[in-house]
Amino acid sequence: MIASDRRSIRMERLVVSLAIVLALVPFLWLAATAYKPGRDIFAIPPTLLFSPTLENFRKVLTLFDVPALLINSLKIAGTSALLSLLVGVPAGYALARARSRWAMGLAYFFMAIRMVPPAATLIPFYLMMRDIGLLGQWISVALINTTLNAAFVTWMMFSYFRSLPKELEEAAMTDGCTQFGAFFKIALPAVRPGIIAAVMFCILFSWNDFLFAMFLTRLEDKPISVALLSAYGTKDITWGTLGALAHFSTLPIVVIVLGLNRYFVQGLTRGIH
Amino acid sequence: MSDLSLPVPARALSPLGFYQRRRWFLVAMAAPALAYILVVAVWPILQGMYFSLFDYNLLKPHRTKFVGLQNYLEVFDTPANRAAFVNTVIFTAAAVTIELVLGFGLALALWRDSRFNRIALALVLVPVTITPLVVGLIWRALLLPDFGLLGYWLAHWGLSDPRGLLADPHSALATLIAIDVWEWTPMMALILLAGLKSLPSDILEASRTDGATGWQRVRLIVLPLMLPAVLLALMIRSVDAFRVFDSVYVTTGGGPGNSTNTLMLQAVKEGLQFFDIGAASTLGNVTLLCIALIAGGLIAVIRRADRRANG
Repeated sequence: MIASDRRSIRMERLVVSLAIVLALVPFLWLAATAYKPGRDIFAIPPTLLFSPTLENFRKVLTLFDVPALLINSLKIAGTSALLSLLVGVPAGYALARARSRWAMGLAYFFMAIRMVPPAATLIPFYLMMRDIGLLGQWISVALINTTLNAAFVTWMMFSYFRSLPKELEEAAMTDGCTQFGAFFKIALPAVRPGIIAAVMFCILFSWNDFLFAMFLTRLEDKPISVALLSAYGTKDITWGTLGALAHFSTLPIVVIVLGLNRYFVQGLTRGIH
Repeated sequence: MSDLSLPVPARALSPLGFYQRRRWFLVAMAAPALAYILVVAVWPILQGMYFSLFDYNLLKPHRTKFVGLQNYLEVFDTPANRAAFVNTVIFTAAAVTIELVLGFGLALALWRDSRFNRIALALVLVPVTITPLVVGLIWRALLLPDFGLLGYWLAHWGLSDPRGLLADPHSALATLIAIDVWEWTPMMALILLAGLKSLPSDILEASRTDGATGWQRVRLIVLPLMLPAVLLALMIRSVDAFRVFDSVYVTTGGGPGNSTNTLMLQAVKEGLQFFDIGAASTLGNVTLLCIALIAGGLIAVIRRADRRANG
């Protein structure tokens, strides 16, 4: 019994270790090209050993206005996260506390919105932004990202609030607390992990989006994801500089998600079920 | 029932009763989100449905005319659209099936609650968090036949076309499926792991003491209990895979020829490169319809499975 347990633990670790290697090696390889001098990138056959250099980073910083690109990405992700939480958290609360069939139907409606393919909304949204004069500006990307994000936040917070016993809020209201006070001072602090996860997902989705950003922003409002695409295939750009630029677009998110992994995993699970 | 047991607050002496005020408060809390979604998501969807009934090109606006359902009747007349549809279906079916099998294995391996597994889960999830665009770049670089870590050896040993896997119409779609598997298997594993962790532990314990072997336990007890979670994971990943865009756009752009064209890619090309709004909207709605059918079908099956599981 115990011997077989030990054997299965060893099997499990083997499978998991293999998965870790497979998940990380391709990513680390592109990251590593950023530290390779040109001749090592084009080494034949490809080599894993090289003398590291920061040359590619220097080149990227002269070719691209990296801080401006990061600020654009941050503006889009931050605005979308703020707007999505502002509308999505109260909506999730309302749907969890309302006791009608309508509320459940509405919650499913929000989940369904999350599944709409961008192909069905992008073109009408593009024309809408053109007509109201927002086409080209980063705010238009934040606005369309917010539809998907707000829908996800509503659904996820609905799930968090539903598993929160309502007796505490009822007691507070009996003691003279306002309805908003019961939501804001009692329910909201109790779902703090959900709020953290919601912020993470909004930032993750908008930071990683590139379809909307590619077609909706002009040159000076472009986020880093779009810059990466335009860098790719340009004459001066080698895989080394591309790898360096990819650092700036992936590292912030990967660090946040690894650091707050507990919330990420919990939130993802809640957002799905 | 529980409505009646709610204690009436001391301050409920306003003209409206407490329950009525409660209802209006909750409506007001949900209203901004609903209004936002209606204006910024539902309205564009309806507009797209309207556009799809017209022969409408932004470059020739004066030639706009109402054609009814003609766009839909002719949508699969062009080879590009047909290829896009077939490729999207193959891509979704193959990628999601492989992800389900591998994801289930990974979830079983990660099931035991230990420090090792918690850290492993965080690391394994890295592909899910990387910008999909960068995922495309990573694989494009890895598979380059002249100096890619993988592509060089594949070409060297004659396992791929000398131009690389992505440039060969016979292997390009399969390669894109493999990339999707790399990116999303961890997500599949996470959804299934959540299902595994919520299984009733007494049943599993009983089967252990009854002397069932590991494989018997998985096949006879875990799999049937996991059916709703499996279906849910299938639905989420199918809906996502059906909308694939980023990784295809950056690795092959739909080529060579139409061998990796997808519905999303074709819709975006029609709309924002050729400015054919009618054709693009039609493709967008076909994609939307397919996704609705996939999601609706699987939700119906999930409900039936749930009902059977709960008696």
